[in-house]
Amino acid sequence: MGIIEWVTTIFLLAGAFFFFAGTLGLLRFPDVYNRLHALTKADNVGLGLITIGLMLQVDNWVLALKLLLIWFLVLLTSATAAHLIANAALRGGLPLWRRP
Amino acid sequence: MDGLYLGVALFLLLNILLGMVRVLRGPSPADRMLAAQLFGTTGVAILLLLAEALAAPALRDVALVFALLGGLTVVAFVRRAWSPPTQVNKE
Amino acid sequence: MQQPIFSDELTWRDRLRYALLRLPLFALLWWILIEGKLAGWWYGIPVILLAVLVSLLLLPAPRQPRPLMGTVRFVGFFLWESLRGGIDVALRAINPRLPLNPDLIDYSLRLPEGNARIVLMNTISLLPGTLSANLRDDCLQVHTLDDNPQTMQSLEQVETVVAQLFGIDI
Repeated sequence: MGIIEWVTTIFLLAGAFFFFAGTLGLLRFPDVYNRLHALTKADNVGLGLITIGLMLQVDNWVLALKLLLIWFLVLLTSATAAHLIANAALRGGLPLWRRP
Repeated sequence: MDGLYLGVALFLLLNILLGMVRVLRGPSPADRMLAAQLFGTTGVAILLLLAEALAAPALRDVALVFALLGGLTVVAFVRRAWSPPTQVNKE
Repeated sequence: MQQPIFSDELTWRDRLRYALLRLPLFALLWWILIEGKLAGWWYGIPVILLAVLVSLLLLPAPRQPRPLMGTVRFVGFFLWESLRGGIDVALRAINPRLPLNPDLIDYSLRLPEGNARIVLMNTISLLPGTLSANLRDDCLQVHTLDDNPQTMQSLEQVETVVAQLFGIDI
């Protein structure tokens, strides 16, 4: 394995870790607002790291740009989606969990 | 490298399954809606990995559609399906 | 919103200028989507022209050009802070003690209505410990994972960076 393969491996494994942490937050955090933080932020860093790892492997740099574009789109939609869900929950009167 | 791609893709798939526990448990409709977020982002990552491992570039376009549909699903949910408890009482 | 299709008071010459500015951008986007293959241009050219037209209808041209330095600064800030945001929430999620002290805080916006606010709200949601939850008039309700005095400062900082992106003085 060359150095680029090693770098890709590290990025992919780090990305997988962030996805796992996001899911852990989804399961452990006490209310929907906190869970949104976990899912949105951790998963987007996870996808970003996996994107970078894969970008190092593609032979065509237009393809690398396409991967970047997909990541950017997910970033945009998930930030908007997180706001919409939080907003709907708040308007629907879903109470906030506070440290007792 | 293909083994690594498939391994990470499989791990992410298990991750989605684990996340489904939250979706099934809820308790609020908003919690269930988190599935769209989970599927959207993790699904895109899995598709990109598979595109590379299986040399199937069309999967990248599927990932692109996934990214857009995830957002659309949430918009549809917020507009239509969500019925807040306060409004239910009024109806 | 019942408005005429072109609500801004731009002249047709201005609109043509913005169309010509957006044309290469949309062509680049198409080129990336078809992964640089030549065959795609037959469908591409009409699609690109249509996209430029639709974009002029949906996204009115900005009054002033975006400052380049502001854009560079924003991208750098965003990448770094969103990475920090991911690390922060990941560490909280794997910590057995689950260090959370959430609250809902009110933040008075200085940015004017429009796209700048939308960018600000999306950015806030990806930064460490903050999530845009609701906007009423000029007040943004932000959900925080960990209520502390620094949150207000960092919100002000994000708003400044977004203002610079749009070339707005606040």
